[in-house]
Amino acid sequence: MTRWLVRRIAQALVTLLIVSVLLFFIIRLTPGDPLSRLTGDRPISPAAVAQLKHLYGLDQPLLVQFSAWVRALAHGDLGVSIAQGRDVTTLLAERLPASLLLGGVVLLLNFTVGLAFGVWQAKRHNQLPDRVLGAISLTAYATPSFLLGLLLAGLLSVHWHIFPPCCLRDPLATDDGSLAGALDVLHHLVLPVATLSIVSMAATMRQQRGAMIEALKLDCVRTARAKGLTSGAVTWHAWRNALFPVLTLFGLWLPLLVTGSVFVESVFAWPGLGLLAYDAISGRDYPVLMGTSLLVALVVVLGGFLTDLAYATLDPRVRYR
Amino acid sequence: MPRNLLIAAITGALTCATPSSATAQAVDRAHTIVIVVGALASQPIPTLVHDRWNQDAADLLFLRLARLGPTMMTAGDKGFEPQLAKSWSRRDSLTLIFNLDPRARWHDGQPVTAKDVVFTFGLFRDPKIDPQHALLLRSVASVNAEGEHRVIIRFTHYYPEQLYDATYQVQPLPAHLVDTIPPNLLGSSDFARHPIGNGPFVWDSLAPAEKLTLDASPNYFLGAPAIQRVIFLKASDPDVQVNMLLSGTADAIENVAPVSNIPRFASMPNLRIVQVPSFTIGYLLFNQRDRKDRSKPHPILSDSLVRRALLLGLDRPAMLRSALGAMGAVPYGPVPLISWIRDPDSPPARYDTTQARALLASRGWTDHDGDSVVDRDGKPLELELNVPTTSAVRMQLALETQQFLSHIGVRIILRTSDGPTWNSRRNQHDFDIDASSSGLDPSPSGLMQSWSCLGLDGINVGAACDPRVDSLMERAIAAKGNPRPLWFAAIRRIEEDAPAAFMYSLTNAFVVHRRFEHVNIRPDGWWAALGEWTVNEKR
Amino acid sequence: MRLTAHGVLRDLWQRPKGRAGLVVLAVIVLLSLAGPAFVQDPAAIPDLEHGRFLAPGAAHFFGTDYVGRDVLARVIWGSRISLGVSALSVLLAMTAGTAVGLVAGYLGGWADAAIMRFVDAALAVPRLFLLLLLVAVWEHIPLVALIIVIGATGWFGTARMVRGEVLRLREQDYVRAAEALGGRRRRIIFHHLLPNTLGPVVVTATLAIGDVILVEAGLSFLGLGVQPPTASWGSMIQDAKSTLFTAPWTGAFPGLAIVLTVLAVNLVGEALQDSLTHSPA
Repeated sequence: MTRWLVRRIAQALVTLLIVSVLLFFIIRLTPGDPLSRLTGDRPISPAAVAQLKHLYGLDQPLLVQFSAWVRALAHGDLGVSIAQGRDVTTLLAERLPASLLLGGVVLLLNFTVGLAFGVWQAKRHNQLPDRVLGAISLTAYATPSFLLGLLLAGLLSVHWHIFPPCCLRDPLATDDGSLAGALDVLHHLVLPVATLSIVSMAATMRQQRGAMIEALKLDCVRTARAKGLTSGAVTWHAWRNALFPVLTLFGLWLPLLVTGSVFVESVFAWPGLGLLAYDAISGRDYPVLMGTSLLVALVVVLGGFLTDLAYATLDPRVRYR
Repeated sequence: MPRNLLIAAITGALTCATPSSATAQAVDRAHTIVIVVGALASQPIPTLVHDRWNQDAADLLFLRLARLGPTMMTAGDKGFEPQLAKSWSRRDSLTLIFNLDPRARWHDGQPVTAKDVVFTFGLFRDPKIDPQHALLLRSVASVNAEGEHRVIIRFTHYYPEQLYDATYQVQPLPAHLVDTIPPNLLGSSDFARHPIGNGPFVWDSLAPAEKLTLDASPNYFLGAPAIQRVIFLKASDPDVQVNMLLSGTADAIENVAPVSNIPRFASMPNLRIVQVPSFTIGYLLFNQRDRKDRSKPHPILSDSLVRRALLLGLDRPAMLRSALGAMGAVPYGPVPLISWIRDPDSPPARYDTTQARALLASRGWTDHDGDSVVDRDGKPLELELNVPTTSAVRMQLALETQQFLSHIGVRIILRTSDGPTWNSRRNQHDFDIDASSSGLDPSPSGLMQSWSCLGLDGINVGAACDPRVDSLMERAIAAKGNPRPLWFAAIRRIEEDAPAAFMYSLTNAFVVHRRFEHVNIRPDGWWAALGEWTVNEKR
Repeated sequence: MRLTAHGVLRDLWQRPKGRAGLVVLAVIVLLSLAGPAFVQDPAAIPDLEHGRFLAPGAAHFFGTDYVGRDVLARVIWGSRISLGVSALSVLLAMTAGTAVGLVAGYLGGWADAAIMRFVDAALAVPRLFLLLLLVAVWEHIPLVALIIVIGATGWFGTARMVRGEVLRLREQDYVRAAEALGGRRRRIIFHHLLPNTLGPVVVTATLAIGDVILVEAGLSFLGLGVQPPTASWGSMIQDAKSTLFTAPWTGAFPGLAIVLTVLAVNLVGEALQDSLTHSPA
């Protein structure tokens, strides 16, 4: 196991290294001008544009820019945002908590409530509750998330004034870290979490339901049932077998922690990393794009690693031959 | 465990995202205005400003010597209102004398002196520090102080916009705080993180992902503002902005987009719609040079009569109403409706498909093969229109252009892309027609860069070049007498040459809560007069 | 049941879910093939002054949009792009993902490590960047290429999913037994592993259909693929975003079309899954 772990971590690091080099060049080669946001629609003189280019090193050859970026990265420096003139590391640190909060709560809901629903559906396979729940979750999923978000905001905040339509907290609130402040954040969290959970839960439920139906048919589960184990124990037995696809899904969704969801963050002006990345791509803010992409890449690779680790822990027979 | 995780995440979010300098004391809700903006000012220091959001914040923090009056007249010395300077006079045609208001104070209590003004002009006029402003101030020969409160500005030659250049382009900085900072480090200095200005509002705090908070300056020498606190709240998505206003989270939004939302606001008893004319014009720019080889003329669009035919084939008033409702008008030439060089006696050309077809036919463009697209030498009249998908208005106008021009036998192919890609294509002259939009300065002298032979290597990407236009504009800019007739003549020539189809001069629709009265949103700096608004607490 | 197209189809038809799904899909496909002959020109702007945002009525059953185009015509014409792109690219992505996942999971060892690290890397590079890059190198991209690109960038997650299933199944007694009995690799893969991994694949595919319809609209926004005024369900919804409350019909009908399609595909998918794992109808 230790040898496998060492090898697996080494692989992950190499993957990350290759990805970061790739990302650098892909981002630089995308069409579009990173200065367009600064210059905007305002006529600006070529001399001023040249000065800005020089300021951000954009007048250098690509390879020179790359080596400068690598050297800075070695010192933990991700560069300075072109649009905001601030350190990318600071920007990431500012935005991370909001995304962690949103993504964390959504993942938590998915892998508690979502899984429970899936198991419950599987046990009532093809009965009425299963079908109704299935149709509802699928309809929710098929609805584009930004429309769903706007619909929820339009009804629950504009029309009925139950939840705020945007933001991490009340714009007039002072940040004193009090209980009232925490409750205010929770209040603002409701709509983004609801939107993102509704659309993601369908996938979790369906995967869990499908896997559970299969698992309930397995020989070992039948044996357990034949041995006269209680229904709860049988379910437990089957569930362990039905966890694989759900674990994979969890690994695939881990990046939700750092990006929230670009659409949902945008529709609710949630000040997280997804929105930062969205603004960065709309302005081709290279350093910020690179910073957010690296962070996402890190979590994607971590997701793959954790999934493998979970397989190995869950089923000791899945050895690495 | 899950609950612990949740609590940990929440406390994390609260502690990490909290700006360290938040020193907010309680201010009552009625006297606070929450304005939703697309992006936040990050460095509202006049020498560093390149975008509107920083400029808007800078306008609340840093005064100019004088500001434009309600007519937005930039020529001559009459149309201005005192700000830092309480009065000004002329020594001769080359010399302006400004007398600073002795009551003016920086937010740290120091007086605003002539030294500050001289120092700041030094920064703005240095092409290494600020090439854009250095270019705009190239006619300033010297700036000197006479005592504590008098500034003498000399120009290299006479022109009508001397006072405008001396006041509009420069917002003085506190020399005693900034002169120790090397200009290239200004952006990362403590001063940039916590600017000290002299305007009606004082910097409070910036939570860069969420909001910028400014507080009223209680000792402001032109009268303490009624609005106690200004919060710029960030939300880039226009739909969220609308929701924030309708749900009462925010008190004002900058642009109602799309205009179909205006009736929703109009039906709210506590909201007021404020129309503000703008310096923004939209136009379909024709590329007069070959896309591949700039030394050659464009095979179709270098012909002024073809360009004119395209212009006549568009029902511009109907298109304008569909995309902007009442929020704009069709301009005559590249001139915003609010500009003082707008010629009230010259109406834009009328929609006329018969004449458009006739013009095309006169240049050999007729439908020979019966496919309802005109052709010449076996080639159909087909043009690519470069449009940014990020602008809903221009996307809509592009679709309608395609329809209208198909009626006169011209095939338009839309080439859509997001803002930055669209912008690069435009700058690389990679288009036949470009759906452009320009936010102009109040002064018309900037038109020189966009529509004259001088700008061919710069921002005149459509390559409109007519020496007679150049000479008219040059004479207008340096006119000894009334410059208006010369500008009118220049604009008439531009309009007749049809380097572009000028589609709209935009009127911005703002929405503001009704408790704010004496609402004054300035065309040249939207929120700059916020300090003069009043608050009616009963609403 | 024989594993032929005809056999599978007949089996699907005998299952109520399968039959319902097939009928709905058939109607949708029929509408997209024959419908355009019966509706107006989807790009036409008949009346710019007075024809915009008309509510559903006799002249326009689904109303008109922000420039006055007929929403019904656009939903019907748009089905061709949306169905074509989503069906083909999802099929491509699922086939590729399943194949790669099967191979990686079954072979194990270094082959598995290499393949899965590639998948990790591919997942780590946002799809958006790859597609944006494509705008740069390929200006007027044909629809077929677009379908291939969407398919080729959409299989990574499926590969991880399938490989996970194979890792689990490989250790099940019946697979071990088949191996011990000297069963041929091909037979083990196709008869034991493949049918049992299809569950998660079918779920993923169903959900991917709805996603791809929106991805296509996102690409149009970036200037890739279908250019306006060509209609697609995704771009219609994107256009309707700001008028959701002032003119709900502009977004509701294309939205309904997407939901119906996804529900129908899901019914067929579930029936297919039952059919392949030999559950009784």
